[in-house]
Amino acid sequence: MLLEVTLSGVTLGGMYALVAMGLTLQYGVARIMNLSYGELLIAAAFAALWFYSGLALSPLLGLLVVPPLAFALSYAIYRILLQPLVRRAKTRDALEVDSILATFGLLFVIQGVMLAVFGGAYYSYSFLSIPLNIAGATVAANRLLALVLAVVIGLGLYLALTRTRLGTAVRAVAVDPVAAQLVAIDVRTASALAFALGGALVAAAGVLVSMFLTFNANLGVVFTLKALVVVIMGGVGNLLGALIAGLILGLVENYVAVFIDPGLTLAATYAIFLIVLLVRPQGLLGRSSR
Amino acid sequence: MLEVAHLSVQYGRHRAVDNVGLTVGAGEIVVVLGANGAGKSSVLKAVAGLQRPGTGTRVTLGGRELVGLPAHTIVEAGLALVPEGRGIFGELTVRENLLLGAFARRARADEDRNRARVLALFPRLAERLEQTARTMSGGEQQMVAIGRALMSAPEFLLLDEPSLGLSPLLCGELFRALERIRGDGISVLLVEQNAKRSLAIADRGYLIENGRVVGAGRAADLARDPAVQRAYLGGTRQG
Repeated sequence: MLLEVTLSGVTLGGMYALVAMGLTLQYGVARIMNLSYGELLIAAAFAALWFYSGLALSPLLGLLVVPPLAFALSYAIYRILLQPLVRRAKTRDALEVDSILATFGLLFVIQGVMLAVFGGAYYSYSFLSIPLNIAGATVAANRLLALVLAVVIGLGLYLALTRTRLGTAVRAVAVDPVAAQLVAIDVRTASALAFALGGALVAAAGVLVSMFLTFNANLGVVFTLKALVVVIMGGVGNLLGALIAGLILGLVENYVAVFIDPGLTLAATYAIFLIVLLVRPQGLLGRSSR
Repeated sequence: MLEVAHLSVQYGRHRAVDNVGLTVGAGEIVVVLGANGAGKSSVLKAVAGLQRPGTGTRVTLGGRELVGLPAHTIVEAGLALVPEGRGIFGELTVRENLLLGAFARRARADEDRNRARVLALFPRLAERLEQTARTMSGGEQQMVAIGRALMSAPEFLLLDEPSLGLSPLLCGELFRALERIRGDGISVLLVEQNAKRSLAIADRGYLIENGRVVGAGRAADLARDPAVQRAYLGGTRQG
C-alpha cells in the first residue's frame, strides 16, 4: 500500500516538476509571469485525447507532435503579445505586472475556447492501463511510462541547460540580462526561445498527464497554481529546486489523500508552501539574496 | 581605429555627456580621467550600445558605424566592455563565465587560444574554474570580468573603473595585465579615477569634466601637467 501510494506520488510529483521547470524558464529567463501557463497543459491534454480517440494514434506520437506545436504557439504569443510589453516596460518589475495582466486575459481566452469546444465535462482515455507488479505493488503501466518520460525530458533539459553553451547562455540571461548583451547574447531572442521552450515543456506534461488522469477545460488554473507553488518552493530560477519541490508536493498530496482525507489535499499543499515560505523564504535551494 | 565624435548622452533633462570626441588607435592604451559623475561611464555605455546616445553622435570602429546597433551586435564588431561593477555572471562558475565570453561568433575560431591566453594572464582563474563567481574576492571577480571580455576576441577592450575597490597590490597587477593585453595587439580604452597608475601605462589621455572634454594629450605630458596634478593626482600624494 505504502509503495503504491509512493509510486503514484512520485509520478504526480514528476509532472509537477516538469511543469515547474517550464514555468522557471518563462519566469526566470523571459521574466514573464504567465498565468495562462496551465491552460496550455490542458490544451495539450485535449490534443492527445484527439490523437488517441479521434485519429487512433498513440499519445506517444502526440508527444512528438504537440510540444513542437506548443513551442511555435508560445513563440508567437511572446513575439506578438508580450514583446510590446517588454519593449515599453521601464523595469523588470513593471514587466512582471504587465505580463500578469496580459496573461490573465489570455487564460480566459484559451479556457473559453476549450469550454466552447469540449464543455465542462471530464475526459479521459484508456491507454496502456495494464496493471504492473513492482515489488508487490500494483502500478498502471501508463503511470510508469509517464514517469519515465518525465524523467527523460527533465534530465534532458537539465543537461542541455548546464552542459551546453546555448543552455548556459539562457541561464546567463536569467542571472543578468544586461551583462548577457555584453557577451553578444541577443537577449530578446533568447527570452522568446526560453518562453517557447517553457510552453513546449508544459505541453509535454499535458500529454503525459492525459495518459493517466481525467481532466476538463477548467483544470488549467490548478496546474498554474501548483507550478507557481513548486517554483517558489524550489527557489525561483532553480531547476534542481523545482525538481525536488515537485516531488515533495506530489508525494505529500498522495499521502494525505490516501491516508488522511482526499479533501485535505489542497490544504496540505498550501501548508507545506507556507512552512517553506516561513522557514526558507528564498526557497529550498534558492539564494538568500537574489 | 575607434573614433567617437559629437557624443552626447541625456538622462531626462540632465545632459551627462556633451559633445565628447576621442579616438583610440590600434595598439594604444587610452585613459579618460574624471571625477565621480563627470560622465565617464556614460561615454563607455553609449559606445558599447547599452545607452542610446543623442542625435549627431558618431561612433565608428574601423570605419563601421556603431550608433544604433544593439549591444550584442557591437560585441560581434570587435568591441568588449567590462562594465562598472564588473557585470560577471555571479551565479555561474568561472568556467561558464569564460565559455559565455566566447558566445560571439567572431570568438569561436580562436576560443582555445584565447582561453589559454586568459589563463596565462590570470593564473588564479585556472585554479578556480569550478568556483561560483560571486563567491570570489573583488580582485578575482575583476579577473573573471576582464577574462570574459577577452574571450570575445575583441580588437578594442573598454574598461569602466577596473581599479575601483582593489588594494594597491591588486591594482598594480591589474595595470600590468592591461599592458600585457596591449602587447597582444588589443587596444584599451579605460576610464579611471586612479590617474597616477593609469597615466603610467597609457599612451594618451583625456580629461573630462561635467560631461565635456577639457583636456587631452600624451600620457607622459598629462602626468607632468601641474593642473592635472592638482585636479587628479592629489598634489604631491604618492600612490
